[in-house]
Amino acid sequence: MIKRVANRCLVVAMVASALTSVPAAAHRLRAAGEAVSVADSDVYVTPTRDWNKLDGNAGKRTELWTLDGEQLNAITFFGGIKAGDALVKERDKKRDPLPKFSTSTLLIEVPELLEGTYRTYKDIGAFELLSINPAPFLGNEGIEFTFEYLDADQLTRKGEARAAIIDGELYMAVFDAPRLHYFDLGVPDFRTVADSATLR
Amino acid sequence: MAKTRRLVACAMLAWAAAPTVSYADTAPLPPPYEGSYQPRGVDEVGLWQEDDESERRLAASQVVIRDEALTAYVKDVLCRTVGSDRCQATRIYVVREPTFNATMSPNGTMRVFSGLLLRMRNEAELAAVLGHEFGHFEARHTVSLFKAHRSGSDLLAWGALLASMAPSRDVNRTYRDLQVSIYGNLFRYSREHEREADLLGLGYLNAGQFRPQAASEVWQNLMAEIAASANVRGLRKPDFKTVAFTASHPPQGERAQYLAELADPVGAARDDGSARYREALAPWIPIFLEDQIKLNDFGASEYIIAQLAKDGWTADLWFARGELFRTRGNQRDLVHAVEFYSNAIALDGSMAEAHRGLGLSLLKTGQQAAGRAALQTYLQLKPGADDASMIRLMVPAE
Repeated sequence: MIKRVANRCLVVAMVASALTSVPAAAHRLRAAGEAVSVADSDVYVTPTRDWNKLDGNAGKRTELWTLDGEQLNAITFFGGIKAGDALVKERDKKRDPLPKFSTSTLLIEVPELLEGTYRTYKDIGAFELLSINPAPFLGNEGIEFTFEYLDADQLTRKGEARAAIIDGELYMAVFDAPRLHYFDLGVPDFRTVADSATLR
Repeated sequence: MAKTRRLVACAMLAWAAAPTVSYADTAPLPPPYEGSYQPRGVDEVGLWQEDDESERRLAASQVVIRDEALTAYVKDVLCRTVGSDRCQATRIYVVREPTFNATMSPNGTMRVFSGLLLRMRNEAELAAVLGHEFGHFEARHTVSLFKAHRSGSDLLAWGALLASMAPSRDVNRTYRDLQVSIYGNLFRYSREHEREADLLGLGYLNAGQFRPQAASEVWQNLMAEIAASANVRGLRKPDFKTVAFTASHPPQGERAQYLAELADPVGAARDDGSARYREALAPWIPIFLEDQIKLNDFGASEYIIAQLAKDGWTADLWFARGELFRTRGNQRDLVHAVEFYSNAIALDGSMAEAHRGLGLSLLKTGQQAAGRAALQTYLQLKPGADDASMIRLMVPAE
């Protein structure tokens, strides 16, 4: 009798552990000090504090990190968007297409590409680019820009991004957070991550 | 047992034949004004309470365009449409959302989307849409639709209970038929509301000062825009006549047709107020156009620009067209963009953004020297531009 109970407990424990540790589809820890590759690309970043990598991607070559949840602070990495591709996965290629990155896209047009993607994807009206400045990214000539928009949930969000076009592919890291409190709180951590990015 | 089954089936069929609403053959004149309306009955009082809360949130929301002149103008068009006594029951909020829409809620909150204002071509068209929305309010459509939904779901719940008392294949099938019938009726009921509101709106136009034919033109214009958008996207030509099972509104083709037929021919010579409309919207059109262009719907944007340009091309319109073509960015588009920016500059040489667009388009078509010169002009006109330091990198110091 006791043995049977013990066996049952074992089975329950095995099932429970099988349910809790699903390695393929889960959020992951990105520990401080460890260099990791992002967005299935050759870009490596070394965070100085722990971040969460969220499961599920907006696009083929993207990856999402957050500290407190996607809606409060999020970094989206774009690891080599090819010419002819949209930044994120299109809901409907024919009926609801997104703006595409192309071979003729200039570095200075990257903010407009992100703006067009946000507006089209979220169906929002108020989006403003606040500043666009040259800044190296991944050891290449790059661009740094900030923006602000009224999101579909009617919360004003602010963003900062770094981008570079290397060998005809677009590399970018974008930080998004509510303008109130969270942007200023999280942006130094984003800058540290963006500064640590290297192309191997 | 068999008798019970037959009874249940009969009862279900009897319920399924719910009454339908029909509308008049001609656009009725507006009903007499009965004074300020207050909600009656527990359902309506409840709906208004929820709506008051929602309006409180809207009033504080960032999405509302806080331009008193614009809001007052839209309100004035509504008052001239439905009469100054009726319109006092409403509050208007112009919201910055680049889609063709306006909504009216039970307590008199009217939301007018910026995308609607961009597409309307005169006061009469705006009056047609506002009159339609006001019609929903005056006829208390929200509360009757709410009651219809409740009765429908009650009926289905009782039907399920009765069906479970006499389970058989026949009863199951009858129950499924009942479900389809009730859902279909609710969607049809919503479409009847829209038709009724269309007719009420048209009634105001017929009896008022605006040209009632504009009501039909709103839908003709929208259909042309949808067709233009589908054409550029390589989609099949949209069908504007078929009613889908779940459609909440009648198809645009049907609306355009009955609104044209029921418009008072005597009113055709009336003023549609296009000059006043253009003047009132002038400060906002470039902003609404920018919102539209960045939605990545080339066909629709090109159509809207062409409509606005019917009254003459302005620097703002040429600039918007340049931006549209440069954003799509094919080599052939860039050549056109150069032409459009140049046209904008010819009309208004101080338009810094047009010089920027021209410069970037020229650079991308291989005309380096001319491109740099245009960017230099941009920097001279707008030295503190948000992207000035980036542009300076592209224009080597002389």
